[in-house]
Amino acid sequence: MSATDPALSPRGSLSLSKGRRHSSGLSRGQSILRGIVLALGAVAFLFPFYYMVIGSLQRSVDPTVAGAFPDPANLTFDNYVAIDSRIDLLTGLVNSGIFTGGVLIGTLVFGLLAGYSLAMLQWRGRGATFALALLVQVVPFQLLMIPLYVLIARDYGLADNYLGIILPFFINSTAVIIFRQYFLQLPKELFEAARIDGATELRLLWSIALPLVRPAVITVVLLTFIGPWNEFLWPFLITKDAALQPLAVSLANYISTVAASAANPFGAILAGAVVLAAPVVALFIVFQRYFTSTDIGSGVKG
Amino acid sequence: MTDTLHAPAASGPPAGTPASPSVAKRGRRPLGKNPLGLLFSAPYLIFVLVVFAYPVGYAVYIAFHDFFFTAPGAVVGRPFVGLDNFVTALGDPAVIRSFGNVGIFLAINVPLTVVLSLVLATALNRVTRFRTFLRVSYYVPYVTASVAVVGVWLFLFSGNGFVNALLGPLAPDPSWLVNSSLAMPTIAIFVTWKQLGFYILLYLAALQGVPKELYESASTDGAGAVRSFFSVTVPGVRPATVLVLLVSTVTGANLFTEPYLLTGGGGPNGASASPVLIMYQRGLQQGQPDVAAAIGVVLVIAVLIIAYLQNRFAGGDDR
Amino acid sequence: MPSTTMRRRTAAAAAAFAATALAMTACSSGGGGGEADGRGDITIWYSNNEQEVAWGEQMVEAWNAENPDEQITGQEIPAGSSSEEVIGAAITAGNAPCLIYNTAPSAVGQFEKQGGLVDLSAFDDGASYIEERSGDLASQYQNTEGAYFQMPWKSNPVVIFYNKDMFAAAGLDPENPKLSTYADFLATSKTLVDAGVAPNAIQPAPTSEFFQTQFDFYPLYAAESGGAQLVDDGEATFADDAGYAAAEFWASLYSDGLSSREQYKGDSFADGQAAMAIVGPWAVSVYDEVNWGAVPVPTSQGISPEETYTFSDAKNIGLYSACENQATAWDVLKFSTSEEQDGRLLELTGQMPLRADLQATYPDYFEANPAYEAFGDQASRTVEVPPGPNTVQMLQAFRDAWSSSVIFGESDVRTALDDAATEIDEIAKQP
Repeated sequence: MSATDPALSPRGSLSLSKGRRHSSGLSRGQSILRGIVLALGAVAFLFPFYYMVIGSLQRSVDPTVAGAFPDPANLTFDNYVAIDSRIDLLTGLVNSGIFTGGVLIGTLVFGLLAGYSLAMLQWRGRGATFALALLVQVVPFQLLMIPLYVLIARDYGLADNYLGIILPFFINSTAVIIFRQYFLQLPKELFEAARIDGATELRLLWSIALPLVRPAVITVVLLTFIGPWNEFLWPFLITKDAALQPLAVSLANYISTVAASAANPFGAILAGAVVLAAPVVALFIVFQRYFTSTDIGSGVKG
Repeated sequence: MTDTLHAPAASGPPAGTPASPSVAKRGRRPLGKNPLGLLFSAPYLIFVLVVFAYPVGYAVYIAFHDFFFTAPGAVVGRPFVGLDNFVTALGDPAVIRSFGNVGIFLAINVPLTVVLSLVLATALNRVTRFRTFLRVSYYVPYVTASVAVVGVWLFLFSGNGFVNALLGPLAPDPSWLVNSSLAMPTIAIFVTWKQLGFYILLYLAALQGVPKELYESASTDGAGAVRSFFSVTVPGVRPATVLVLLVSTVTGANLFTEPYLLTGGGGPNGASASPVLIMYQRGLQQGQPDVAAAIGVVLVIAVLIIAYLQNRFAGGDDR
Repeated sequence: MPSTTMRRRTAAAAAAFAATALAMTACSSGGGGGEADGRGDITIWYSNNEQEVAWGEQMVEAWNAENPDEQITGQEIPAGSSSEEVIGAAITAGNAPCLIYNTAPSAVGQFEKQGGLVDLSAFDDGASYIEERSGDLASQYQNTEGAYFQMPWKSNPVVIFYNKDMFAAAGLDPENPKLSTYADFLATSKTLVDAGVAPNAIQPAPTSEFFQTQFDFYPLYAAESGGAQLVDDGEATFADDAGYAAAEFWASLYSDGLSSREQYKGDSFADGQAAMAIVGPWAVSVYDEVNWGAVPVPTSQGISPEETYTFSDAKNIGLYSACENQATAWDVLKFSTSEEQDGRLLELTGQMPLRADLQATYPDYFEANPAYEAFGDQASRTVEVPPGPNTVQMLQAFRDAWSSSVIFGESDVRTALDDAATEIDEIAKQP
């Protein structure tokens, strides 16, 4: 818990002080170069998004270079109005939230437990479990889709049900691997000492391990969040009822079929893209400050 | 606990340090030293067995039989056909080409991902101003749905799109996504762009684990920023590099959404079809799940081999 | 990790799979289809475009008002780029609805093979009802044994739409466009593009989805060959003069830059990206801002419109075996294809019910909408995709050959057609 407390950490974790110290290792020229690299990167990453917003507001398509700048005569909200009239955005948003929330809970609770036991505990079958987690990464989801569909829709009767949408994604295996990886980096001595003091494994996990792997938790939240939020193939197959479809599915539908008949198809597609991207980007910006406390390592590795 | 954490590393292994369990020990405890581990992992294990192992087993079964999907209750023969489906799959030039395509994809995407994400993460790690802004801008493509960003890229890279307008006479003809030699590289660059934020995050976290003393001592030795990057940073984040290599290879091999959405199903003329896309077409559209499963099995084996080689040569040494 | 450990782990994991797989397949569930004489509530799906949704809703309402004990729940088909995946998956899982008013003939063979469809001929009045309604056209929708696993419903005979304003701007006669022979069509196209009225003369989707063949090669081949199917009696027919001519015609459009090799995301005709389009009457509602005219597809010698065949682009109705109340479903099927409901369909969607004597049945409609008369007439001369469980596979094989030779000019057109024909003959031999 106190790993991030600068007063207690001998190596200090205020990003400011850290930055200053490191900058001193760079010459002025190198600093400038670094600034340029970062700025170029930022432009390359942000420009398509800027363009997405501009394009979604255009009355008619303007693919020229001048089209990248807003032209008051060519601006309109019609593209958004067109989407809103075809799709129930709020329902889609709520469905996406339920789908994503379910997966996050499953991954953070059970994935964390599994990652911990894979890294810190010795038990029979540990190796095989880890190998399974690795194999899950390797196998394309399209190979599993139909057997899975039959299993969930026919055998479990979970078609058109939130559980059916969530189930295949419930525990993210990549998250398990990431948790394990981070737990492995923690000094074993710490845990052995606490075990001798009589702490239970759950308590070790909760009070020692978890605070130390906070960056891993944040990484996992980000990684896990975007999976279900952006997934469209599976929920598309398993839900026949439009009232249960997540936003990605209804917007993918809109983009691939309905938009073509809109007045400005590109504008309609881009408006759909903005609607899908906006909540994630907004959430991300709000919570991004939690992504900055990454000084896990200071006391740990050595 | 904080004290324990920051105390100089205990000298000598405390009692009970995990050592390879002796045979005698194992005999006494059939579930291993900490049977609790099994309990902790049980939900995950059950999950994996149900939604992964069973479908995979079923898919392997399908790959060796003359199989098609039927309505419940329909009685049909599904004879064992040995390697027939594999012969059909690998005898199909489109399938072979798709494996080649994904090879091109990986050859561009993986090195680009590793280099760019490490460089950007290192730069980002030391920057003080605009840190938040930069972070956000790097992660935004990663958190956004493919479905959404593909729309913009289509717009940017279409024949009369923004990129060609910018390039003017230098614009490729035929344009990016319909040019059989540029379609796959364009997709590879798109995916690199899209995923980079995640790998930057992995590296950033790993960079925190590189002891600051190493930089300090490198600095005392007179190493400049570039040299300390190669002598301290690169070796320091090697476990992360192994992970980045592995994850980017595996995601790349499973490429599907981008050709599905960006090049209208693997065009032009199959130049951007990936094995998974072909699986999807054969299995779900053309009613040949048996051939699709065979392609999937081949793909999985190929990826396992590559992952094994990467692990071997990039030197994963973490237990 | 050390390689030996990895191997051992993998082996253990593999063993775990095998065990699970065996256990799970052993107890795979049975579950049966529905009752042939069951009656009660049913669910139906209809297409998701505005016009058909309007038709579907009024049909459901009309039925429900008269049949309080056998209510229909109607909903839009959950469709992305293609609805076949969804239907296929629903069949496998046993949760398909009773009726789907958007079953593509190209998928019917596959669904039949899966045991997903009910043989409509098995109803006492099944075959007779279908044949009475659709006349000679019905036979194209039989399977090889002569049974109907689909109800022929409506067609969208593919024709050439052209933009009259663009033709006028390019100095062409907008009322009598020269588009009947290949040579005229190419010359007209060149004039249009050279005049700069549109970047493309005509722009079918150049993508590799199997169904795109139905909107470039097939209509022209049907016209050129006088109504030949792509595959007849298990033999590919198109590697002949008619096929070569149609394919080389499209190849010149692409190589002369009159058609774009790049897909346009919107509707190229509606957005002024192309001066012509090759589509059926369903598209009329999309073209409300275009001053359009329609002519039959071209042939090499320019045969008269009364003799020109084309692709039907039909959508049919399937009765799915998961349906519990099949007797009700059959009644609904008949109700929804009655003269009255077909009239409503024509009115609301502008699509052609697959009826014999269409124009004689709805004289008022065609009188009020003279633009549709050509479609009504064309609807009697259409060809369908080859039947059987491997239709999609055949169309995909054709499309792949088409893509490399005709669109991208990477191989010889005739050789490509010959090779595709050989491949399709092989596919046709599969069960």
